[in-house]
Amino acid sequence: MNIIEIKNLSHHFADGAIGIDDINLTIREGEFVVFAGMNGSGKSTLFRHLNGLLTPSNGTVILDGVSVADDPKRARRMVGMVFQNADSQIVGETVYDDVAFGPENLGLKRDIIAQRVSEALNAVNLSTHADQRPHLLSGGEKRRLAIAGILAMGSRVLVFDEPFSNLDYPGIRQVLNQIVTLHHAGHTILIATHDLEKVICHAQRLIFMKAGNIIRDGAPNDNLKEAERFGVRAPCASRFGKEPVSWLL
Amino acid sequence: MASMTAFSYLTGASALHRMDVRFKLASMILCSLATVKAQADGLLLLTLALGIILVYIRLPLNILIRELRYFSFLLLFVFIARSLATPGEPFIKLSFVTLTYEGINDGALVCWRLSNIVFVGIIFVATTRPSALKTAVEWWLRPLPFVPEQRVAVMMSLVIRFMPVILEQARETADAQKARGVENRKNPFYRLKKIALPVLIRTFITADELAVAMDARCYTEKRTSVSLTACRNDWLILGGVILFCCLMVV
Repeated sequence: MNIIEIKNLSHHFADGAIGIDDINLTIREGEFVVFAGMNGSGKSTLFRHLNGLLTPSNGTVILDGVSVADDPKRARRMVGMVFQNADSQIVGETVYDDVAFGPENLGLKRDIIAQRVSEALNAVNLSTHADQRPHLLSGGEKRRLAIAGILAMGSRVLVFDEPFSNLDYPGIRQVLNQIVTLHHAGHTILIATHDLEKVICHAQRLIFMKAGNIIRDGAPNDNLKEAERFGVRAPCASRFGKEPVSWLL
Repeated sequence: MASMTAFSYLTGASALHRMDVRFKLASMILCSLATVKAQADGLLLLTLALGIILVYIRLPLNILIRELRYFSFLLLFVFIARSLATPGEPFIKLSFVTLTYEGINDGALVCWRLSNIVFVGIIFVATTRPSALKTAVEWWLRPLPFVPEQRVAVMMSLVIRFMPVILEQARETADAQKARGVENRKNPFYRLKKIALPVLIRTFITADELAVAMDARCYTEKRTSVSLTACRNDWLILGGVILFCCLMVV
């Protein structure tokens, strides 16, 4: 079943620059898709249309049969987004408060909020940090907190914009492990990155973007050899003709 | 990793942390008003009480002192201005300025009052979750006509939430400028200009990013509020604060 259907989607910025140009795309429920491309290729712009943060110049995005434009609140509940800069999306003064922010916006009752926050913090292994101040967490923990924030809203599609940027090796492994676990739990995962090395082993589909267009879409193994043509470094192993290895091993 | 600042919530389980925020807000306002009216003995009483509370809530004093070092410059400025501007018996007389005994006394009192008010505010912020503060402000503003209480409350809680972020950004910017030798420039206005502009720009960018992130999590003014419940202890503490304020002023 297709959970996301994008039809003729275009976005032109106020200065006339083209963000994305006539994109058609479908994503099946439970898929793990990596979007790769250089800076400015349109990955983040495309993602911001999935939950109505941007309004398209043309075209539509349909989430599980309902247009994003018709019900943006449903879209934001359904598509949870983890932004590149984890610091700037922390709203709460404690880890608990931050995770509770989304459910509070949905107007849920206090006992349901408490239950959702507890489940989300358990899912990302941050339940012992509930009373801690988010700004004192490590980079990997901040990303996991951001993930907990969207899990508490009950999002089915999890969108990550450069989830590994500014993280050290343990932080990358923490976040990657979390993403893979969530995929196994049935979530649809979309990741935008220009660094395939860390995630490609776990992806089922690889999409290359360039200048606002989708230029390749297929299985990772079929597409990887062309990565450097599109300004994305191929994983080290595949440069030597071998299969990429997971960073979790 | 961001360092800790004194101007943000400090997790704890003290009586002040547990106190109903509506009562805490009222107590803070009463103490601040009493401070304005109090003389030296009243101020001494409050300073002692604040010192005990600071130790009780375990606010890290070294961080507090570091955070308030710029505030001490403001106090010094106020003290000098009051000492020079208040007429009275001369203490030091130079060619065109006269420092008076009354001015020194007046300046010291004003600085003492300002410091006490700042410490009352710091204790309030350190023991209050912004979400609870937001609900309390909404509760107090609700009877007032033409005041959008929910919007005002959200703005207040965001300002408090942003304070440590802005301070952290100012610190990073200052370090980056030190690394490029800004300390060789002795003109304080030049240095202020060079730090203020980048910090302002970064603050606006962060505010934009935060607004988008809040939107992505369905932000609305009509959201589930923190439930506030007053108990006997809250009334007792408020009664104690009123008595204390009377004692300060009398």
